[in-house]
Amino acid sequence: MSVLEVSDLSIRFGGLQALQDLTLTVNEFEIVGLIGPNGAGKTTAFNCITGFYKADTGKVVYRGQDVTRTPPHKKAAMGFGRTFQNVGMVKSSTVLDNLKTAQHARVQYDVVTGLLGGGRVAAEERALEAKADAILEMLGLTEFRHLRVGGLSYGTLKLLELGCALATEPDVLLLDEPSSGMGPEESHELGERLIELRKAFGLTMLLIEHHVPLVLSVCDHIYVLNFGRLLAEGKPSVIQTHPEVVAAYLGGEAPEALAATAETPEEAALDEATHPVAAKKAPAKKAPAKKPAAPRKKASS
Amino acid sequence: MTAVAAAPAVSHWRLSGAGLAARGLAYLGLAVVLFLPSFATDFSKTCSLAVIYALMGLSLNIVVGYTGQLSLGHQGFLGLGALVTANIVAQAQLPIWLAMACAVLATTGVALVLGLVALRITGLYLSLITLVFGSAISSSLFALARFTDNNSGVKIQRPHYLATNGDWYLVCVAVLLVVFYFDYRLTVSKVGRALLALKENEQVAEAFGIGVTSYKLLAFALSGAIAGLAGGLYAFRGELYSEKDFQDPNGFTLALLFVVMCVVGGLGNRLGVVVAGLFFGLINELLDDLFYAHWVHPWMQHVPVLGSYYSSDVKASYLASLIGALLLLQTLIFNRGGLGAQLRPISRWMTGHRFELHDATHSGPAVAEGSSVRA
Repeated sequence: MSVLEVSDLSIRFGGLQALQDLTLTVNEFEIVGLIGPNGAGKTTAFNCITGFYKADTGKVVYRGQDVTRTPPHKKAAMGFGRTFQNVGMVKSSTVLDNLKTAQHARVQYDVVTGLLGGGRVAAEERALEAKADAILEMLGLTEFRHLRVGGLSYGTLKLLELGCALATEPDVLLLDEPSSGMGPEESHELGERLIELRKAFGLTMLLIEHHVPLVLSVCDHIYVLNFGRLLAEGKPSVIQTHPEVVAAYLGGEAPEALAATAETPEEAALDEATHPVAAKKAPAKKAPAKKPAAPRKKASS
Repeated sequence: MTAVAAAPAVSHWRLSGAGLAARGLAYLGLAVVLFLPSFATDFSKTCSLAVIYALMGLSLNIVVGYTGQLSLGHQGFLGLGALVTANIVAQAQLPIWLAMACAVLATTGVALVLGLVALRITGLYLSLITLVFGSAISSSLFALARFTDNNSGVKIQRPHYLATNGDWYLVCVAVLLVVFYFDYRLTVSKVGRALLALKENEQVAEAFGIGVTSYKLLAFALSGAIAGLAGGLYAFRGELYSEKDFQDPNGFTLALLFVVMCVVGGLGNRLGVVVAGLFFGLINELLDDLFYAHWVHPWMQHVPVLGSYYSSDVKASYLASLIGALLLLQTLIFNRGGLGAQLRPISRWMTGHRFELHDATHSGPAVAEGSSVRA
């Protein structure tokens, strides 16, 4: 069974159709990438899936359960962990306190018990702290433990935010541009870390990312959005060479060389099956290229 | 990263026996200072008011300091608490504690309604609505003849075992200590973390699994409950409920004073707010004592500006509001953390840490960046 099934999700802001009929599936232990040019609706899709926006139409199903109308904090408790494009943390708190705050939904004691205090609450608070320390240790951020989040560098913050998302004990992790503010070296490390985390925590991930090499190296499946619509989907190797995708990233038409590449009937059938949207929109240019070194480099810029 | 290097040094430090004794003595001294006013007859009544102001400071602090919602109508809760307590005791002859419990229920309920408003409206408009709330409730409900004993004020009596002002002062102090404890618990439990998170960014709070709606309502409910308690104490302090205490312009002056107390004390800083509350509760009386002292009065009346203290009709708030304004200015310009930030080395020392003027590890609602009210 798939972990996350999104079908026909649409949302309109005034005159702007921010998202139209988005359908995507995230399977257990998969890392799924969601890419597209600026303003394509990636973050909007995230906000609809996590419940921050109420989609006009469409459905979000989490492990067989319809969660379209579930408010975000309940989704967090169910196992939706997410990060934000511009670092979502409590800036006036210390790193440690942020990690404890992030565990809010996992706290067992209720409000009244918390206000009364006592041994059980104290023990649980210690457990929260231990968990926070374990996450810091794992991410190599222990030295920042007592520092206030407000004063930290952007790269550190993005990593810490990932730590906070992990502290919510997610089942499915939605990461909004986790590598922003990181150099190529760091984002490569991040990719390895994501794969490690998937293994260590049994995570399923949905990833918005601009850094194309990272997406291509970690994702099992990629969805491409453009102007709120699904442009293409498929394995990284397919997406990498997809003329529509290349065109969307570069603007204008796909390079002639790509479109001219010969296509076997088998490939055409496969293509039709994996990205029907693209096939419908531009049947003439759907042929995937065999050796696509140049477009990939351009797409990452 | 000097701050990082300093952090381990703190954890190696242990409280010595002498240090423990010194802190014990400090607590004893504090207890004596708190206890002493109960022996005076008139002064203990003033001190009761100071303690009630401190309670109001804590009440408002939960909404403004922890949750970041500005309320300009908190005198409405104080008045409602006093009204309910006085009327239940006078009309239904219920025991005093039961009456105060009813007052707490009533103010909590009304605060929840205000909280519901705050869910939809924030910033400037919420402040405006709370301002109108305080003004409207005091000029309508508070003034009903039924609740004011036909406008003569509801006279009530404390039970015989708490007959003196000193006794009641000790009750007020006891309540303050209990509320202080719960406020402390609030900030070190998940509740305080949740409030701080939603104050800074509601979306982040939601992503952390914090139900913003329920926690905002909880903050208003807790604030209302404390204010109701303060109202009950207020009614029995003077053994009289008079709606004029809470009606404008007195009411608005009070509301403003509570906000000034919170800011001068340091938004989100429990100790600072209590100290500021005590200060503003005492200042009128202390000024009066000073100005009418036999060694001041003869020459002070000839001093320009200050001399008008004696002739002014509004002398009760004449200098106090001036001092409040000056303190507010100096807090906002020089010392955003308020009194609490100034007292922090002492409060850290009192709670068994080493005496240090600076600490890099401080976190929470009173931290400078976090102390701005979101508009």
